[in-house]
Amino acid sequence: MTRVVALLWLVLVVTAALYLGFRLHGGLAFRTDLLALLPREAQDPAAQHADDVVTDALSRQVMIMVGDRDRGLVRAAATAITGVLTQSKLAELTTDSFGKDRLRRIGELYFPYRRGLLSAADRQLLLDGKPEAISTKALSQVFGLVGMADAKLLQRDPYLLLPAFLTGLPVPLSRLSLDHGLLALQDGDTYWVLLAGQISGDPYGLAFQAALTGALDNAVAAQREAHPDLQILRLGAVFFAKAGAEQAMGETSKIGLVSILGTVLLVLFVFRAARPLGLTLLAIGVGALISLSACLFLFDDLHVMSLLFGVSLIGVAVDYSLQYLSEIFAAEGGTPRERLRRVWVGITLATATVAIGYVTLFLAPFPGLHQIAALAAIGLVASWATVVLWLPALDHSRRPRHGDRVLAWAGSLLSLWQAPRPGWLRWSAPALLLLIAGGGLMQAHPDDDVRRMQSLSGPLMAEQERIQQLAGAAGSAQFFLVEAKDDEAALQTEETLIDRLRPLLAQGALAGFQAPAQYVPSVARQRQNREMVRRELDGPILTEHLRQLGLEQVEPPPAEDTPFLTLAETAAKDGPLRFLSPLLLQSGQGALHVVKLDGVVRPGALTTAAAGLPGVRMIDPAGDFSRLLGKYRNRALSLLALSATLMTPLLLWRYGWRGAPRVIAPPLLAVLLAPALRGWFGASFTFFDGMALVLVLSIGVDYSIFLAETSSQRQRVTMLAVVMAAATTLLSFGLLALSSVQAVHAFGTTMLIGILLAFLFSPLALAVRHPAGEDR
Amino acid sequence: MTRLGLLVLVTLLTASVALAEGPIDKRLSEGQVLRGEFTQERHLQGFANSLRSEGKFVLAPGYGLIWQTEKPFAITTVITAAGLAQEVNGNQTLKLEAAKLPFLNQLYDMLSGALTGDWTKLETSFSVARSGDDQHWQVALRPRKADDPGMPFQAIDVTGSQFVDELQLKKPDGDFDRLDFYDQAISDQPLTEAEAAAFATTAP
Repeated sequence: MTRVVALLWLVLVVTAALYLGFRLHGGLAFRTDLLALLPREAQDPAAQHADDVVTDALSRQVMIMVGDRDRGLVRAAATAITGVLTQSKLAELTTDSFGKDRLRRIGELYFPYRRGLLSAADRQLLLDGKPEAISTKALSQVFGLVGMADAKLLQRDPYLLLPAFLTGLPVPLSRLSLDHGLLALQDGDTYWVLLAGQISGDPYGLAFQAALTGALDNAVAAQREAHPDLQILRLGAVFFAKAGAEQAMGETSKIGLVSILGTVLLVLFVFRAARPLGLTLLAIGVGALISLSACLFLFDDLHVMSLLFGVSLIGVAVDYSLQYLSEIFAAEGGTPRERLRRVWVGITLATATVAIGYVTLFLAPFPGLHQIAALAAIGLVASWATVVLWLPALDHSRRPRHGDRVLAWAGSLLSLWQAPRPGWLRWSAPALLLLIAGGGLMQAHPDDDVRRMQSLSGPLMAEQERIQQLAGAAGSAQFFLVEAKDDEAALQTEETLIDRLRPLLAQGALAGFQAPAQYVPSVARQRQNREMVRRELDGPILTEHLRQLGLEQVEPPPAEDTPFLTLAETAAKDGPLRFLSPLLLQSGQGALHVVKLDGVVRPGALTTAAAGLPGVRMIDPAGDFSRLLGKYRNRALSLLALSATLMTPLLLWRYGWRGAPRVIAPPLLAVLLAPALRGWFGASFTFFDGMALVLVLSIGVDYSIFLAETSSQRQRVTMLAVVMAAATTLLSFGLLALSSVQAVHAFGTTMLIGILLAFLFSPLALAVRHPAGEDR
Repeated sequence: MTRLGLLVLVTLLTASVALAEGPIDKRLSEGQVLRGEFTQERHLQGFANSLRSEGKFVLAPGYGLIWQTEKPFAITTVITAAGLAQEVNGNQTLKLEAAKLPFLNQLYDMLSGALTGDWTKLETSFSVARSGDDQHWQVALRPRKADDPGMPFQAIDVTGSQFVDELQLKKPDGDFDRLDFYDQAISDQPLTEAEAAAFATTAP
C-alpha cells in the first residue's frame, strides 16, 4: 500500500518537474511591483477606477534630463537618445509635443470658438470693467519690441484674446520653456533638455525593464564616450521598479544561498554522513519543485517578493526530514520504517498546524500573500509527503558512533528546564515575562505609512529630487476626482475649484494643476465670456482700437449662435490635445473627471479648498494604501487569534484539557513577547509584523508538538531535531531581517525574535504526555 | 519665432560698431553707453498703413538694452542677463526670467558677444555677406536653411556708416519690418538714475 502511494507520489513529482521544465523553457514572467502585494479593496468603484487609470498613467511616465554647459551638445545628445528609444519602440518621447505643428493644430481647434475663450487675466479685466487695459495690452504686442504682429490674426482677433488664452493653458512643468522645439531650461551655466514621455511596455515586467534600461544605458554610454561630462537624470516608476527588482532578486539569491549552505553545514555537522544530507536536500528539493510548478499553474506569473519569502520556507521544509533523520540517534534504533513510525504523528500534526497558519494568510485579500501562502503550504505538504513516503525506503543508515555525544549535547539544553526550580521562580518568572510583554506592547506604536515600507534606490531618489527641483514639479500621486451628472456640470464644478486653487498656487501649497475645464470652459462660462466680449469690447472701443492699429476692416466675428466648444471634440483621440483623455474617465453614468496636481506640498490646504463642492474628492493613493495597511494590521491580529482558534481543537483532541495549554503556551508567549521586545527597542508595529506573528504561532507550535509527542527516553533525540529545526528556520526567516526592504526587514526581525523565543519556551510542552510524576 | 526676430535685431543693433570693421577703439566697451533714437515701421498685409512707432534706446555693456517706444504710446522693454520686462503706460505687462527661458540667455550671450565683435552665434543660422567700406557698408543675412519652418525671416538687410543706420527684416508671407536709427552717440558718462532703475525692473 505504502509502496503504491510512494509510486503515485513519484508520478506526481515527475509530472510537476516536466511542467516546470516546460514553463521555464517558455520563459518566466516575474512581477515586481510592491503594490501588487498590497490589498485591493473596492470601497468605491469610481475612486478605485480613477485610481487605477491615474496610477497606470503615472507608472508609465518617464522623464530624462540631459544637461551640459554646451547647448548644442545637449540638444544633439537629447535628440540621439530620443532616436534610440523611439526607434526601438520602447518609449514614446514627446520632444515635439509643443512643436510648431502641434501648436498650429491646437490653434486651429480653438479658433472657431475664440469668442468664448478668455484667459484668466483677460476675463478678470472684463469682470472688473477695464476693457481698455485689454486694448492697450494688444497694442503693446503689436508696437513693442517683443510681440506678435500677424496681420491675418489681428484681422480676426484684434484684441489677441486667443493667443492670451493659449499661453494661459497650464503647462505641467513650470520652470521649462520651449527652445526651438525642445523643452529646456537654464540652471546656472548648465543647459538642460527634458525628454518626457510614456513607455510602451509594462513598467513592472522584468523583460521590458531590461530592454528599456539596456537601450537607454547604451544610448547614454554612446553619448558619454564623446562627452564624458554629460549629465543624465532619470525619473520614472520603471527605473525604481527595476532597481527594486534587482535588489529583491539579489537578496533572494543571497539569502537562499546562505540558508542552503547553513542547512547543509548543520546537517553535515550533526550527522557526519553524506546520506542524511542527500535525503534532506531531496525533501527540500521536492518541496520547492512541487510548490513552484503548482504556483505557476495557479497564478501564471510569479511575484519576486513571493520568491523571496518562498526561499525562507526552505528552513521550515527541512524540519520534517530532520525529525525523521534524528531518530537514527535514538537508543532503540530500529529499521527506517520503525523510526518513521515513532515520529509520524508529530510531523503530520506539525504539517497540519503550519498549513493552517499559511491558509489563514489566504483570508487576507492580498494577492501577493496568496502566492506566498500557496507557495509555502504546497511546498511544506510536498516535503512532508516526501519524508513519509520516500525517505524510509531510501535510508540505509545505522546509528552513528558519535550519536551519544550529540545526544548529550542536546540533553544539556534540556537540563536547564529539568533542573529543580525554586518556588519563587515559579511565579516570579511568568510575572517578569508579563511585565516585559506589557511594557513593550505599551511602547509599540503602529506605523502604516506605505512609503516607508518600500525601499527606494538612493541614487534614483536623488535624481528624482534634482529633476523636480530643476523642472518645477513632476507630477504627484494625489489628484482630485470630480463626479457630476454630466460633463457640463463637472466643468462648472471644476471652474469653482480652479478659482479656489489659484490662491493656493501663489501660497506655494502646490506647484500646479491641470483640470479639463482649463482647456474647455463650461458652456455656461463660454456663453458668459461671449456676452462680456460683445458688451465690453465690441462697441466704440473697438473702433478706437482699430484706428490705433491702422486697420480699416476686420473679419466679422463668429455668429453669436455658433456652437460651443465641447469636451468630446477637444479630447479626441487623434487630436492635438489627446493628453486630456486620461483626465476623462468612463464611469458608465454621468461624468468623472480627474484634476491632476503637481508638486503637492500641503495636501490639507487642498482638501480644505475642495470642501463643500459637490462631487469633488481628493484622492491620495499612498494615503489610501496606508489606511488599508492600518486596517489589515488589525486584521492580521484577528488572523492570529483565528489561527490559534483553529489549532485548538486539534491540540485538544490529542493532548486533552490539561496538555493542550502547555503545547500552545510556548508559541503564544513568543507571539506576545516578540513585538514587545521590538517595542522596547523603539520599532513600530506594522502589518508585516502582524503577518510574521501568524507564522511564529504556526511554526512555533510545531516545536511544542515534537516535544510533546516524544517519550522520556527519546526526548534528547527530539530536542536535537527541534534545535536543528529552529536553527534552520532562523537561518532562513531570520536572514530576512537583513533585507533593506523595510517591510521584509520588519517581517524578518519579528520572525527571528519570535522563533527564537518559541524554541526557548518549547520544552514547557515536554511534560504533556508524561506527567511530572513519570518524568524521573 | 518672435524670439529669433528679437535675437537678430538686438544682435545687429549691438554689433553696429563691430560691423563697421572700423578701428578697435570705436567699439563699445565696458563703462560706455550707446544712446540713440529709432523709428520702427511694421508693414503688414491687409493694413492700409504701416504700424509706425518711434522712441529711444539705451545700450550698455554689462547691463543690457532699454527699448523705449514713445509713440503711439509709452512701451518700455528692458533686456538684461536676468531676463526681460515690459511696461505699458507704466504698468508691467510682461516679465520673463532668464532662469526659465534658455532663449533669453542666448539672447544675452549674443548681445554681449556682438558688443565685442563675436558673430559666430548668428552665423550658425545665417550666411553673412558684407559689402561697402567703413563709411558706408551693407550686410546681407540669408537663412542657411531656406525651408526651415522655424525660420521666421526670408532676408535681413542692414546698412550703416559709423553705426547701424537701417535694418530691414523680411518675412516669408510678405510682411516686413523696417527700423531706422539716428542721433546715435557713445557716451562715457554713467547711466542716469532712470536708466539704472529701468535695468533693475528685470531683477527677479
